[in-house]
Amino acid sequence: MQWLPEYKDDVERVERFNFVARITHWGHTVTFLLCLFTGLVLFLDGVDWLAAIFGGYAGAGLVHRIAAVLLTILLAIFVVFDFKGIISWIKDILRFGMNDIKFVMSFPLEFFGFPVKIPPQTRFNGGEKGNSIVTPTMVILLVLSGYIMWFPSIFPAGLVRVAYPTHDIAMILATCMVCMHGYLGSFHTGSGESFWGMWKGTVRADWAKHHHAVWYEETYGDKADAE
Amino acid sequence: MANLTNLYDVSKCTACRGCQVACKDWNQLPATIEPFTGSYQTHEDTNADTFTIIKFFESEDPVTGVDWSFIKRQCMHCFDAACMQVCPKGAYTKTETGATLHDPDKCIGCQYCSYACPFEIPKYRKREDKVTKCTLCADRTAEGLTPACARTCATGALTFGDREVLLQKAEDRVKYLRANGYPNATIYGKLELGGLNKLYVLTDTPDKFGLPVNPHIPKNISAWQNVIQPYFGWLIPVMLAASATSFVTTRILANKHGGHGEHEEGGHE
Repeated sequence: MQWLPEYKDDVERVERFNFVARITHWGHTVTFLLCLFTGLVLFLDGVDWLAAIFGGYAGAGLVHRIAAVLLTILLAIFVVFDFKGIISWIKDILRFGMNDIKFVMSFPLEFFGFPVKIPPQTRFNGGEKGNSIVTPTMVILLVLSGYIMWFPSIFPAGLVRVAYPTHDIAMILATCMVCMHGYLGSFHTGSGESFWGMWKGTVRADWAKHHHAVWYEETYGDKADAE
Repeated sequence: MANLTNLYDVSKCTACRGCQVACKDWNQLPATIEPFTGSYQTHEDTNADTFTIIKFFESEDPVTGVDWSFIKRQCMHCFDAACMQVCPKGAYTKTETGATLHDPDKCIGCQYCSYACPFEIPKYRKREDKVTKCTLCADRTAEGLTPACARTCATGALTFGDREVLLQKAEDRVKYLRANGYPNATIYGKLELGGLNKLYVLTDTPDKFGLPVNPHIPKNISAWQNVIQPYFGWLIPVMLAASATSFVTTRILANKHGGHGEHEEGGHE
């Protein structure tokens, strides 16, 4: 059985994600998962074995904090070194329109592998736009509520109390998105090629044309040449 | 078994702080020395090595003149305890006699309880990375003894016994106080938070003694512990199951439709 689509370097490829975006993406993958598993130690009951992996509850707490600080630093790196990238990302999210709604409507069928016709998408399709809004928002909430809980004495008690459920809700929503995102961006037969976009930075030109027609046309197609 | 509780009568207390010393003595708590702040109060608040303190309140009233009141503070042993609700490790338990006990072996020092408690009682002990608080001397009462603080009280301000009996006693005392120059005298702990396993006879309204007038467990804590924690988390396994299903179905359907399923047929994500 095929897991990932094969990486082909003998066909035309176009850049999808630059170096900073890829570094922060995979950095966040590692730090988020570390935070997730060390955090689940407290969220779930009866997972002493999970805590034991990190050297007990105190060890899990330490790993959680170190990973959280690294995650925050990566956020800062992303903002400082690829501010333009963030702006264009936001701009693309703001282009949410009819085609994106149609995409989201037909997504459940597409998700399970039924052939569906989908209108041309911009750089990020309707689902990716949703993920682009939810996951970063939740991560920012996690970071903020996390530091409030870490240093409770310098924040008002009411804020500290709100931080606990906020951290939980944000964790759950972010983890749901990460589960879907992780799967769709790798093993899903249709979209697996996008894995190479984030791993090596480039995707097959024909895949880009097919999946993100609007983006491809504007960036690498005739329109781009005309400008 | 009946709830065994302490009744603390402010009008009989002389603030000798014998209870504080007895508590330290029985629980083998080391001295905590804090700088002098211009008050008779020994510590700013209860702390990890001081389970009970007498708090002092000085205020001036144009009619009655200077008012100097004090009150013993410690864990209230709430029947509906917020600390118990939030503790992720279930370190808090209720004894048969209504005391809220904290098990240091289960405690991981996360301090959720410290910030959930409406009375700010559980305190963090840094040297052990654990939270500590008053136990209502559960180890003593299990053997039929009275708590150290109540046993040592010289003036009879602290009495220990059946909650129902003490409640009756407190009501009689409040009636007496109201008739004898304390019109605002009241009981604290009878109904607050659905009842506390600690009863107070106050000579004035609770706010004069630094007690929350209407203590409550914050709504977001109840929502979090009763809804979000037990149910909301199931979204994650649902997502994982959906992905696993899709992993299989996309591959089956791709074969069925003849193509590789990679880009010609489906696949727009």
